[in-house]
Amino acid sequence: MTHLPIVEADHITVHYGQHTVLNEVSAEFMPSQITVILGTSGCGKTTLLKTLVGLLTPVSGRVRLFGQPLADQDAPATRDMLKKTGMLFQNGALLGSLTVAENVALPLTLHSALHHDIIDEIVRIKLSQVGMPQAANLYPSELSGGMRKRAALARALALEPPLLFCDEPSAGLDPVTSAGLDELLLKLRESLGITIIVVTHELLSIQRIADSILFLHKGSVLYSGTLEKAREAQTGPIHDFFARHESATPESINDAGNFIVENIL
Amino acid sequence: MTDLYSSTSQENQFVISLPELFNRDWVSRYALSHLREVKPVVLDFAGVREIDTSGISLVLLLKRGHETLGRKLVLRNISRPLLAIISSVPGPLAAESKPPKEKFSAFVGSRTIAAAATAASALSTLAEILYWGTLGAFKKLDLKKGALVEQMFQLGFKALGIVALLSLLIGVVLALQTAIQLRMYGAGIFLAPMIGLTMIRELGPMLTAIILAGRTGSATTAEIATMVVGEEVDALKTMGINPIQFVLVPKLWAITLTMPLLSIIATAAGITGGFLVALFYLDISPGLFWNQFTQHVYIKDVAAGIVKSVVFSWLIIWIGAFYGLRVRGGAEAVGRETTASVVTGIFIIIITDAIFSFVF
Repeated sequence: MTHLPIVEADHITVHYGQHTVLNEVSAEFMPSQITVILGTSGCGKTTLLKTLVGLLTPVSGRVRLFGQPLADQDAPATRDMLKKTGMLFQNGALLGSLTVAENVALPLTLHSALHHDIIDEIVRIKLSQVGMPQAANLYPSELSGGMRKRAALARALALEPPLLFCDEPSAGLDPVTSAGLDELLLKLRESLGITIIVVTHELLSIQRIADSILFLHKGSVLYSGTLEKAREAQTGPIHDFFARHESATPESINDAGNFIVENIL
Repeated sequence: MTDLYSSTSQENQFVISLPELFNRDWVSRYALSHLREVKPVVLDFAGVREIDTSGISLVLLLKRGHETLGRKLVLRNISRPLLAIISSVPGPLAAESKPPKEKFSAFVGSRTIAAAATAASALSTLAEILYWGTLGAFKKLDLKKGALVEQMFQLGFKALGIVALLSLLIGVVLALQTAIQLRMYGAGIFLAPMIGLTMIRELGPMLTAIILAGRTGSATTAEIATMVVGEEVDALKTMGINPIQFVLVPKLWAITLTMPLLSIIATAAGITGGFLVALFYLDISPGLFWNQFTQHVYIKDVAAGIVKSVVFSWLIIWIGAFYGLRVRGGAEAVGRETTASVVTGIFIIIITDAIFSFVF
């Protein structure tokens, strides 16, 4: 088993107009691991994910996938790399004009010379894997949020990529559906050895799936390592992030010092 | 006011005994201006059982008022949960420093740069569409099976009825107005070449283009913009599929093939309208109409009309794609860009037609 990182970000800086979203971010993602990128809203999690998959171009630094630098989207080498990756978008991003089956079949149709009967069978298997074989002929608008994400996962897995990116897979889902999706990701990692990079801020989901975490704060990497170690933080944004479910006390509230409090009951 | 300021502390601070329900109803009853006038105050929470956002807002506004005087607001007899709720509200963001008033020269410069960037982006979109629709198609072809036929049906066949009907009616109206004038001078016979040349060289291609700019241009912008907003374009990219080729190239090919045909049909319908006016209003026989028509209309006129229609078709797809791809935001932005696409499309088509008229 190789111990070289499957994805590397090397001092990448990303701007949205004048605003620096990622500042000199470096990270390595090891194979067959589930790495969770987390942090509070607006810290640059999704931007990092989109940069890793080549949707955003950093103003400085570079990204390597499978040891190769990620170049122009239409370069043959990049296309080959992208065939080995899957991406699950936050809202599924299924093509609205195609049925679920057609969506799942799309990468197979365009990137393989398989006979359509074989493609149909692969689509059936993929949809069964994500637990929705009955939805093949439905359009995305006819699916619930959870089903849309499952269908999108089936599409992301159509070419059996060794690398899967997931942007907020649990967002907007009920706890049961969310847990089901997490179990699916764990199963994929265990059975197929897929490397999964997940952006989320759902604590329960992080606890269920993370082998390692990458904590972003204001566009920079604050911590990279195991979840257990991160939870040992006593102060700072990492501590606040994990402690946020606990009830706030005046001592932990920044603004309390701006009042004079006489006689707390 | 008496029930509001129930007591005065030793430092001449007014003590406000807050009610059991420190909520919107209570806050509404006591105008904020009264509270702002008398400073400093002590808020006594002894009797407060519930607080809502209005109550919290009042406390925070008073707090900021005190801070401007260099003092701190006193909260007395407050329970720990209530203090936690009030304190957990984040403070307002730091006010952005107001940019200095832009000089006229800077204003012109920044607008020029923005216009140049928009133009560069539009030209880049055009270059991409033309490249992936021609030379790039030999390198790779990310097309869905049957996409071309489907688009020809959608863009061409479905527009056939409206294009033919409108052109027929325009032909009738144009011929009728002209015939009234020509008949006054006994020159009704010239209606045939007039309507023929006008429809073949100008109105046939332009009417078709305007109808398609409204129909196809808006549909293209709306489709692409919705795909951009829904991250479908990003999804295609991550699958290694070129979105320009997957979405736009079938439309480009379909409209390039169908627009000249639609233009010919529109021209024929318009001439038919003129012929009907000549026949029934001017009493010109079909043979005489045809004779006059063929004497004045040449093959180069037909060729000019077809060339125009092809150029117009590219303009429609280009503008539709440009506005669709540049969308930022949600549903409202999709509507805004679609409207802009149609308006710009019609404007550019008319400008281009004027240029053609001078050149050819």
